[in-house]
Amino acid sequence: MEKVITVKNLVKKYKKLTAVDGISFDVYQGEVFGLLGENGAGKTTSLEIIEGLRQPTSGDITVLGYDLHTELQEIKEKIGVQLQSSAYYHYLNLQEILNLFASFYKKSINPEELLHTVGLKHKAKEYVSKLSGGQRQRFSIVASLVNDPDIVFLDEPTTGLDPIARRHLWSLISNIKAKGKTIILTTHYMEEAEVLCDRVGIMDKGKILALDETHKLIEKAKNPYTINFICKDLSQEHSDNLKKIGQLENIYGKWDNYLLKLSKREHLDQAIDLVQKIKPVSLAVGRAKLEDVFVELTGKTIDE
Amino acid sequence: MLVRNKQSLFWALAFPLIFTCIFGFFFGKNTTLGSVTVIDQANTDLSKGLVTALSDSKLFTINKESDINQAKDAVKKSSLSGVVVIPENFGDFTKPEAPKNVTVIYDPGNSQVAATLLSFVDKFLTATNFKMQNAQTIFTLVEEKINTRELTYYDFVLAGILGLALMNSSIIGISVAMSKYREDQILKRITTTPLAGWKFILAELFSRLIVNFVQINLILLLGVYVFDGHIYGNIFIIYLLAMMGAILFQLIGFVISSLVKTTDAAQGMATAVTIPMMFLSGVFFPIDQLPKWLYGIVQYLPLAPLLRMIRAVALDNLSPLENPKNFILVVCWIVGCLIVSSWKFRLADE
Repeated sequence: MEKVITVKNLVKKYKKLTAVDGISFDVYQGEVFGLLGENGAGKTTSLEIIEGLRQPTSGDITVLGYDLHTELQEIKEKIGVQLQSSAYYHYLNLQEILNLFASFYKKSINPEELLHTVGLKHKAKEYVSKLSGGQRQRFSIVASLVNDPDIVFLDEPTTGLDPIARRHLWSLISNIKAKGKTIILTTHYMEEAEVLCDRVGIMDKGKILALDETHKLIEKAKNPYTINFICKDLSQEHSDNLKKIGQLENIYGKWDNYLLKLSKREHLDQAIDLVQKIKPVSLAVGRAKLEDVFVELTGKTIDE
Repeated sequence: MLVRNKQSLFWALAFPLIFTCIFGFFFGKNTTLGSVTVIDQANTDLSKGLVTALSDSKLFTINKESDINQAKDAVKKSSLSGVVVIPENFGDFTKPEAPKNVTVIYDPGNSQVAATLLSFVDKFLTATNFKMQNAQTIFTLVEEKINTRELTYYDFVLAGILGLALMNSSIIGISVAMSKYREDQILKRITTTPLAGWKFILAELFSRLIVNFVQINLILLLGVYVFDGHIYGNIFIIYLLAMMGAILFQLIGFVISSLVKTTDAAQGMATAVTIPMMFLSGVFFPIDQLPKWLYGIVQYLPLAPLLRMIRAVALDNLSPLENPKNFILVVCWIVGCLIVSSWKFRLADE
């Protein structure tokens, strides 16, 4: 697959703070690449350097074959950017904003068409301030597509949205990917990274701790397999038997809800048999989440 | 966008128009120094002569009243500028015991009107004394006006209001707008596009120059056609000078926005820049009245040489280059602000 972005030994320092500490990664054409980490991990800083908004302290970056230091204008023609918290002119309506931004590029898409793709055509004459949170985020993303970019940068695209609005946005991002565009996004939502991203880089304190395809990262977790079951009055004997083959814990203090984490595929069948003997009220076999990988790597969770 | 921001547009246009009207009502056509009540208790030829002289001078609006106490109250409440009391039998030469004093009641706090009223009545009585004594005039006063044009204080202040309007709307408008754009990350968003920074800045400048042009039109139309202001010079040159001033003040606005981080700070700094200039650049009164040391400084403020040029053209029909120092000062300010804003103003944070 063709590399569209290469980042080598990227460093960004602010006086005593090292925001980005020598990260390297490549992004391939047509994939959704995610940078996952908590606030302050260096995700947005890394993204904004690649977008040309910040100057790196050191490191080499190429985007679509163009060198970031010397060919930034060419890069800007071919990328679309949705900032973490961007606003638009208060007194221009949606269509006018898209027209304005389209005028900055050599190539652009009809604003009406863009608004239609996100279900905002009927809001074309409204100001951004009249939109709901979800509508604003959809507009913000669609504004990043006005020049029909090859690469789209999305910085925390669903922050602040309710679960339903978030899922609508996931659907939109999937549609963008389906059009052959490469997407780089930052997020601190584990589920979002898991659902949307083909590859994820887990960042903490300016470094990338792990980078791989999402399912491979999960498979590298200490306990990649899980069995979730509900059982009233689990006996000590059964509990001890289960603990011999895996890690048994109550889920968030609910005494009847158990999660058995298994490190090996071979233990899964044995574990299922043991659990079924208990005759649980409910049983679900699954796999670890990206959150588990994150906790193992960083020793902490991300508070939403 | 500027047109749709109705509040901002209203204040950009209404604020200077309010000043134009206020000063017009005070100092424009058919205005006097104030109202004076004459209580003529004598009703003689001499007393009537004084009343007629006061009325014909058009310095005051003359009312006739009979109640001294009511008139005094009105002066205390500042609804009247002065009272002239001509006692009974004043000017009746058939009565030797007739009073020979005219009383002028005034508020010392209203020194301008008081001085003029006292001087007028005193001059009238002095002339009457000489006439009564058949005194020969030995020494006389000859007046020579530096120009024969009809000029009033309103003409002076109209040019000042023009400069004030351009200064306030441009400096505050640009500095606050750019800071707000920065706070809202609009500037940052624009930086992600291929749009060159200088194009963005030019577009902002040009759109505001259109508003400035409308301001100039409204102020001059109102000042000249409603309040009888006078413009003796080339109106086209006045427009050019005013637009030059508008560009200068917008550049000052960019300098301010490049130095501050927040909209509140921009507002504060813009106010700190405009308020001293409003009072020390000759907007409302000539600055040569100031102490020498202070005048030596404020004559170089950006608005001061601009107003000197506009007044030279508007009031004296001179060329703006009559005193090239003013033109050079304004150009220096423009170049200086252009250099500073090019160096410091950034669309992005880095």
